[in-house]
Amino acid sequence: MKSLFAPNAQPARLVFTTMVIGQAALLLLLWLFYPMQLFPSLGEVVRALGDLITTQGLIQELWASMSTALQALAVATVLALLISYLTALPFFRPIAYAASKMRYLTLTGLTFFMALMVSSGHQVKLSVLIFGATVYLVTGMTSVILTTTQEEMDHARTLGMGEWRSFYEVVVLGKLDEMLEVVRQNFAIIWTMITLVETLYQSEGGIGLLLYKQNRYLHLDGVLAIQLVILATGAAQDYVFVLLRKVFFPYSSLGTSA
Amino acid sequence: MTALPYNYKDPILTLENISMSFHGEPVLRDINAQILDVTRPNMRQGQVVGFYGRSGIGKSVLCRIMAGLIAPSAGTVEVGLAQQPVTPGMVGFVQQRYPLFDHRTLHDNLLVAALRKHAPADARQHVEAYLERFGLAPHRRKYPALLSGGQRQRAAIAQQLLCSDHLILLDEPFSGLDVAMIDEVKRIIVEVTTMDELNTVIIVSHDIVTTTALADRLWLLGYEHDAAGALVPGATISPQHQYNLAEMGLAWHENVEAEPEFAQFVEHIKNEIRGS
Ligand SMILES: Nc1ncnc2c1ncn2[C@@H]1O[C@H](COP(=O)(O)OP(=O)(O)O)[C@@H](O)[C@H]1O
Ligand SMILES: [Mg+2]
Repeated sequence: MKSLFAPNAQPARLVFTTMVIGQAALLLLLWLFYPMQLFPSLGEVVRALGDLITTQGLIQELWASMSTALQALAVATVLALLISYLTALPFFRPIAYAASKMRYLTLTGLTFFMALMVSSGHQVKLSVLIFGATVYLVTGMTSVILTTTQEEMDHARTLGMGEWRSFYEVVVLGKLDEMLEVVRQNFAIIWTMITLVETLYQSEGGIGLLLYKQNRYLHLDGVLAIQLVILATGAAQDYVFVLLRKVFFPYSSLGTSA
Repeated sequence: MTALPYNYKDPILTLENISMSFHGEPVLRDINAQILDVTRPNMRQGQVVGFYGRSGIGKSVLCRIMAGLIAPSAGTVEVGLAQQPVTPGMVGFVQQRYPLFDHRTLHDNLLVAALRKHAPADARQHVEAYLERFGLAPHRRKYPALLSGGQRQRAAIAQQLLCSDHLILLDEPFSGLDVAMIDEVKRIIVEVTTMDELNTVIIVSHDIVTTTALADRLWLLGYEHDAAGALVPGATISPQHQYNLAEMGLAWHENVEAEPEFAQFVEHIKNEIRGS
């Protein structure tokens, strides 16, 4: 018990799990018995959730949004990795710099611009997401690359590896696990963007549009239900990424305090 | 103290008029030193040479120059019996914090190095031999993050030996090690020199006693004063700071640290360092 309040303590797994379950239960109980004005009660949210699933096709819409998100993430990851790795060559450094600054472009303007360039609604949605995710990923990935030290590069060189081989060994292979972490952290941004893009470009449906409608008709319980679904999806995704990291990069968390 | 018989043969590494400045600030100035192949009758033994210098004097910079990782502002480094200009990979170099590839297991760290020089089947055999020899076999599957400091250092030395020709440069090999670990490194260094006549270990260190006990040649890095008594910027090796321990009868003795002449010599070196 005491370990729960000691700094940097490592409580036993069982103690910690019990504590988390307790905290969650307390939150639910508070919600159940002290309904706030405006804020929908737990019962209402659960009812809205059931309704959304049966009549509005929440699951299908979620799946549609998620597969688009994954598709965009895959393409953006490949693009961002390429752009970041190319920073090894001075010629390409301005591109990475410019790409990372494009985080400041607003989505609304971008969507309009993309709509002029590509024809189908799906394409617009996808290209906006890819663009948005790429610029965030490039920012994270280039900063990972910048953590490469002189010592690490010299180490590869002393083994007789040429510049490209050293780069491949130290930066590409050596930091793949950190790149996966960057992707994990930025996946959340895709979810923020996808809900926005879907409201801007409504022909494609998706969970964003569903959320937008609930908002417009002031169905607060529905809004909350959808938000919770997105939250749960996000948490599950995070977990999958952690698993991937454990499987593919077993060395990754060695030597850290956790 | 007995001077054991020995002969010098071909040069193995030559530093000629090495100077190095960073942004106009001289760190090293006019350094000359030559490492020769020492032969001893009826023995197959390489050589151990030492460079001493206080912390911050430019030892690591000198290491990087000798390893071909940076070009000196002036001067040349030539290595091998052919005395070719140095390029990275010719001289094995174990940096101060013994870096390894953290994303590869110990075995794979060694294998990736061995494959630089040998065909796959050969490379595997060499790796096995080094794992045994350096007491690393039980840890072959571990990632570097799980190795102890001493194991890491041995792994780094093995990795460099697997892909370099005879020359290996150790930057501060004794710093941060306890007595037992220092003995272990000493054993490894002696082991390396007995593996091949041409094997040469260059120790760059501020640990006077341990380096002197192992080396047969020594160079002391220090600052010189000009005629007016002002300090000349840039560390160098003065002519009186080049020591031939083989000639002085301090090399290759089993327990040289217990000999009174050894203690005297260490005291002398300490005074020289304080004076410079
Ligand atoms: N790349 C560099 N750029 C500028 N100054 C450097 C560089 N590398 C080393 N120096 C300077 O050279 C001096 C010697 O450093 P170093 O060789 O690390 O000393 P040590 O003898 O402790 O190994 C220090 O003053 C350091 O600041
Ligand atoms: Mg140093």
